[in-house]
Amino acid sequence: MLGGVCSGIAKRFGVQARTVRIVAVISALFLASGAALYMAMWIAITRQGEDTSIFTRTSSDKREKEILFVVSIAVITFLIALRTLGLHALGLFLWLLTLSALEGLMVWRGASSDEREHLRTLADSSAVRTTTKSDSWLGVAIRTGVGVVFAIWGISFLSRVGYEQGAAAYVIVGAAALVLGLFVLFAPWWVRTVRDLSYERRARLRAQDRADMAAHVHDSVMQTLSLIQRAADNPAEVTRLARIQERDLRIWLANPETFGTSTNPPTSLAQSALEIEREIEDNYGVGVDVVVVADIALDDSVNALLAAGREATLNAAKWSGANSISLYIEAEPNQVSMFIRDQGKGFDLGQVPDDRQGIARSIIERMHRYDGTAVIRSTPGNGTEVELHMPRRVHSE
Amino acid sequence: MNDTPLPRVFLVDDHALIRAGLHAELAGSFEIIGEADEVGAAIEMIIERSPDVVLLDVHMPDGGGLAVLEGVTKTSPAVKFLALSVSDAAEDVIAIIRAGARGYVTKNIEGPELVEAIIRTAGGDAVFSRRLAGFVLDAFSQEGDSSGAAPRPLDPELDQLTPREIEVLRLIARGYSYKEIAARLEISIKTVESHVSAVLRKLQLSNRHQLTNWATERRLL
Repeated sequence: MLGGVCSGIAKRFGVQARTVRIVAVISALFLASGAALYMAMWIAITRQGEDTSIFTRTSSDKREKEILFVVSIAVITFLIALRTLGLHALGLFLWLLTLSALEGLMVWRGASSDEREHLRTLADSSAVRTTTKSDSWLGVAIRTGVGVVFAIWGISFLSRVGYEQGAAAYVIVGAAALVLGLFVLFAPWWVRTVRDLSYERRARLRAQDRADMAAHVHDSVMQTLSLIQRAADNPAEVTRLARIQERDLRIWLANPETFGTSTNPPTSLAQSALEIEREIEDNYGVGVDVVVVADIALDDSVNALLAAGREATLNAAKWSGANSISLYIEAEPNQVSMFIRDQGKGFDLGQVPDDRQGIARSIIERMHRYDGTAVIRSTPGNGTEVELHMPRRVHSE
Repeated sequence: MNDTPLPRVFLVDDHALIRAGLHAELAGSFEIIGEADEVGAAIEMIIERSPDVVLLDVHMPDGGGLAVLEGVTKTSPAVKFLALSVSDAAEDVIAIIRAGARGYVTKNIEGPELVEAIIRTAGGDAVFSRRLAGFVLDAFSQEGDSSGAAPRPLDPELDQLTPREIEVLRLIARGYSYKEIAARLEISIKTVESHVSAVLRKLQLSNRHQLTNWATERRLL
């Protein structure tokens, strides 16, 4: 698996690779002797398909020998220092571990290029890395080193419990050090696992969104399309259905989470404007194109403005003959304005039929009641525009 | 037909039905020199054929109109884009204008109006639909939004619209054509056009960060 030593031995002696591996792992658990032996064999045995072993390569290179020598001296010095600090109990285990580590260094330095590639992919997926890409190797090395030192320290404390005084304190300190060491070693792996889980959760959410979308499209759009097919010989009805569907879809796309739940009355200027659009389009088959600048909350005077505007839109839908009405609403600091414009047949303000006069008057009166103004501009053949302005109260927020 | 060659128009839309419809509507007034239904092909063909105006769908797979615009203007900055879409979020529209489109119109635009808009784009002028004018007024508005937040002034030196420009934008938002605006304000159509172009320039140059903030906090229509 790691260096291919086990399978090599298995092939040489004609036993199953798995058997050799199990023996190797068990011996590794016994004072790390197996690990040291494994690494030694890795170094000494020539890899299949290559003509030199790691050992022959390293020993024939002066520089490599020097590196190995220097590092060994440094590590041994460090171990002796540790020993004088009171880590006698580890003895053989520590030495064997150190030997394996040095052998590991030798393997890494002396490995052939494709063997190194193999090691790199192994290392990339190892537990001490948070991600495969963004981690710096120095960080990983430091973290691993710190983790291993703490873990060994902890074990050494625990192993002295039996034959020294103050056992309880040793147990606590030892366990804490061991836990800390293991934490430092495996935290990245844990972080990675948690992150993978959250990715998964997000992917599930996206799938959920898609399912909602499909369901919505099926429920509303497909239904409307079949209605449209049935009404194919009635252009007005087709237009009406298409408009309803378009608006429906637009509102849903802008705000899917509140869609269908807002049966309660609108609470803002823009929502009320959309309400007018919906009402007129559904009932009169005339398009209402709404543009709102700066949405604000509703109050009595804004409601009065909207009522007057609705009346004007209704009027345009009924009488102008235009197939679409432009509704423009803007909230400024001192006033809210509403413009209702159609490019229909228009009329002469001097000679308005009585019923229309009534509607016009009701618009103007509504506005006046709240100190607003209304201007109606119209010329025959050139459409009509109703202009409404409502002063805003000084709000004390 | 007169002697001046027809403006050369290129269509980008991922829906064949829409392209066919546009083709039929525009064939008499322009020379349609090609169409594309996806981003990569569009960029390649536009650079190769260098049309006067590209009619650009905002929403497409693989980055949409924005990707086409950015891909083409890197090598061919002279090509003019008119964004054409059904009805979009403010942030998408503002993004495509800021990336360099000369205007934005909605797909429910009437044929003759679209022809006029393309001619205007070809002439280097800006084309503002009602909705775009509304978005711009909203972005530059000093009024707080529905959350009751404080006014959001943009970069004060560069970004203020003149009262005249605001007046023109309001009339566009109210549904007036350029001609009607000129008559209403008693100025020439050329002056209206230059006001609108000035607004477009301010929109493209203004403080990027704040405008983006505005666009993301808006979820209008």
